[in-house]
Amino acid sequence: MPPSREAMVHRGDEDEVCPVCKSSRYLNPDMRFLINPECYHKMCESCVDRIFSSGPANCPVAGCHKTLRKNRFRKQTFEDIHVEREVDIRRRVMTVLNRREEEFDSKLDWDNFLEQREEIIFNLVNGIDVAKTEADLQKYASDNMRSIRANQALEAKEVTSFQERQNQEQELARLRRQAAKEEYENERKEILAGREDVLTRLASGRPADAATIAREGQRVLLKKSSARRSEEERIRLKQAALRGTDAKKPGQPAAAAEEGGSGLIKGLRKIKTPEPEKAYDPFGGMVPNQRDYYTLQDHYPSTFLDPVRQDTRMLAGGYDLREYYSRTLLEAFAGLGCFIDEEVSKREGNAFNTMKPVGTQGAALAATSDSQAGK
Amino acid sequence: MTEDDFYRTSSQFRLWSFTEDSLRSLRQNTNSLASDRVRDALRRAREARQSANSSAAGTPNPNGSDADSKPGDEKDIECLTPEEEQELVRYYCEQIVQLGESYKPPLPTIVRATAIQYLRRFYLTNSPMTYHPKTIMPCALFIATKTDNYYLSLRQFAEIVPGDTSAEDIIAPEFLVMQSLRFTFDVRHPFRSLEGGIMELTAISQGLAQPAPHTPQKTADNLQRTMLSLPQPPNTNQPSSAASISDRLARAHHNTREILKSAAQMTDAYFFYTPSQIWLSALLLADRPLAEFYLDTKLSGPKVDKSPELTQIRTKLLTTLNTCAILLQSYKPLASDPDQKKALRRIGKKLYHCQNPEKVNLAGQKRIPAAAMAAAAAAASASDPATPDSEMERLAKKRKLESEAKRRDDIFGGELVMERTRERQG
Repeated sequence: MPPSREAMVHRGDEDEVCPVCKSSRYLNPDMRFLINPECYHKMCESCVDRIFSSGPANCPVAGCHKTLRKNRFRKQTFEDIHVEREVDIRRRVMTVLNRREEEFDSKLDWDNFLEQREEIIFNLVNGIDVAKTEADLQKYASDNMRSIRANQALEAKEVTSFQERQNQEQELARLRRQAAKEEYENERKEILAGREDVLTRLASGRPADAATIAREGQRVLLKKSSARRSEEERIRLKQAALRGTDAKKPGQPAAAAEEGGSGLIKGLRKIKTPEPEKAYDPFGGMVPNQRDYYTLQDHYPSTFLDPVRQDTRMLAGGYDLREYYSRTLLEAFAGLGCFIDEEVSKREGNAFNTMKPVGTQGAALAATSDSQAGK
Repeated sequence: MTEDDFYRTSSQFRLWSFTEDSLRSLRQNTNSLASDRVRDALRRAREARQSANSSAAGTPNPNGSDADSKPGDEKDIECLTPEEEQELVRYYCEQIVQLGESYKPPLPTIVRATAIQYLRRFYLTNSPMTYHPKTIMPCALFIATKTDNYYLSLRQFAEIVPGDTSAEDIIAPEFLVMQSLRFTFDVRHPFRSLEGGIMELTAISQGLAQPAPHTPQKTADNLQRTMLSLPQPPNTNQPSSAASISDRLARAHHNTREILKSAAQMTDAYFFYTPSQIWLSALLLADRPLAEFYLDTKLSGPKVDKSPELTQIRTKLLTTLNTCAILLQSYKPLASDPDQKKALRRIGKKLYHCQNPEKVNLAGQKRIPAAAMAAAAAAASASDPATPDSEMERLAKKRKLESEAKRRDDIFGGELVMERTRERQG
């Protein structure tokens, strides 16, 4: 491609003249023109060197007062300077407004976004509301720094993976071509060898057998080639299957829009950041040793239990009287504040028929089945 | 309250707690269902007998009791009422206590109490007309020995059971009972609760108690002082000064335990109240000032008065405990009441006539009637009385047909090999 672009640049510009130093290509065939995206005024390389080597300076074109720097000068890609400028603007806007389709709620929102982007580009290219549009763009860029970065990274990854895939495919195609070639070569060799074989046999055999030998040789060849063909088929199928498994879709949705989104773009999909998982609570919110009716003590005087506290036979196995204390006291008060009258009627109001019929139906079923069995 | 939430998770609260209305309607429902079935079954039995009689005329009626052969038995069979059923079940609950007493050593109270509750729960959804309590009762007791971890071998157990009950007879209805219990074997008893309460009361009386979380202002000393100055319960006839506080506690303990062993078991207290309410009501009956003092140590004081929830619980609790106490007090032991005995004899006679004849021989039936259940379910839907075996066959056939239909519907046909073999066969 480069030669053709070169040709395009140089086409019909034999007498192209640098607007700054007025030297023409006719005199200096190696002359290269550079532009600066600040003002897109064209000038020759030697002018750039001359004017901007000592630091930023004003554009030498009359009436243009833009300050230019040398490092921003570059070669022109397109012949039409307007196209060049539009492409530059487009690239700049695209790097900022780089939302992806997955980030939008609906197709319509995505289309609206595309239209909005085009409008911004159009405004910038044609100088409509430039200050406001630029300000919007700036604000958006600073607000959405993170998602822009994420999308850029994603894009880069996609590009590289695409390239990789393409390389892989090319490599595979090359291998296939090579295999086919070898195949062909082998086949040819075998045919030749077969023919040779038939000839030698004809030469050594009796004349009466000539026809049979020829027919046999033909058959052997056919058989070989058909076996080879089926083998090839098998290999090709296998490769196709392998390729099928390889071709996984690498692109995942970015889904990295900041909460609050941006004022500029509408219809972005809300991102639900998953609730941070709470620490596992084995008691389900209950405080293990919290009690409302009693305070558990380490010792309760009792003529019946006190001997246990000293009895080695009881304690040796790890028995702890405090377990008994806590159990009995818990049972003494568990359910003291459960008023079955109220709670059960409420429960039955909620789910009537959930518990009574189960019992009765079960009994009824048992009864009927037994009566039928007894019949 | 934290402790209440513990109780709310129990199966006793979830499945076996009722309001008075719901319990009554449940029993009513069970009774009417069972009555219908008993009438049907008796009618069938009579028809079968009549056809047998007509075919073999002249032979004496094999089970020719007077009641059966009389033409008067055409009239509607009189079934038990729910109240009569309840009386009968109560009688067998008393029997459990006596049966437990006859073992050596006697079965622990808690085993007997569990068995009683099993029996009571069983007869919420089953009627004595369908399953006679005399067959269910030993089974319930045997299950209770197992669930309460008091091991007895079945042989040992069967030796003591009166009548010519074999081990097989005892466990014949075991699955049935467990099913009716909805496989919830946990019964929360108030016995251990009572021990806990008495333990803490003893600590208070010795000035070693810590105040309850909601009444932190009460110190051990002032609790002890209040306790020592409590008035004597009105029903004691001893001189008040003579009895020491530990004697008083021991007496209250003993009396409460007696109430829990008898009245709490024989009434519907377990269905209406939680174990801690039951034991506190029993304590209320045994020694009212002591019980009220004990409640006050938990639920009274400036902090409690300030929170409306706690005061509400306290007032509600007091009414609940009083109604529970009235229920417990209404219990009269069977032995001391000749009227009840007479009534029971009448009920027993009545039950003899309205016993479901198809349910008498439990041992002959399958212990695990799962297949029968499935068959019944299918029969109920298809309304054709099939025996389990033919039902199984039918199901297998249906499954086969379905799979074949599926194979036909498959757009790519069935498996190749199968197709081929079928073609060859065809």
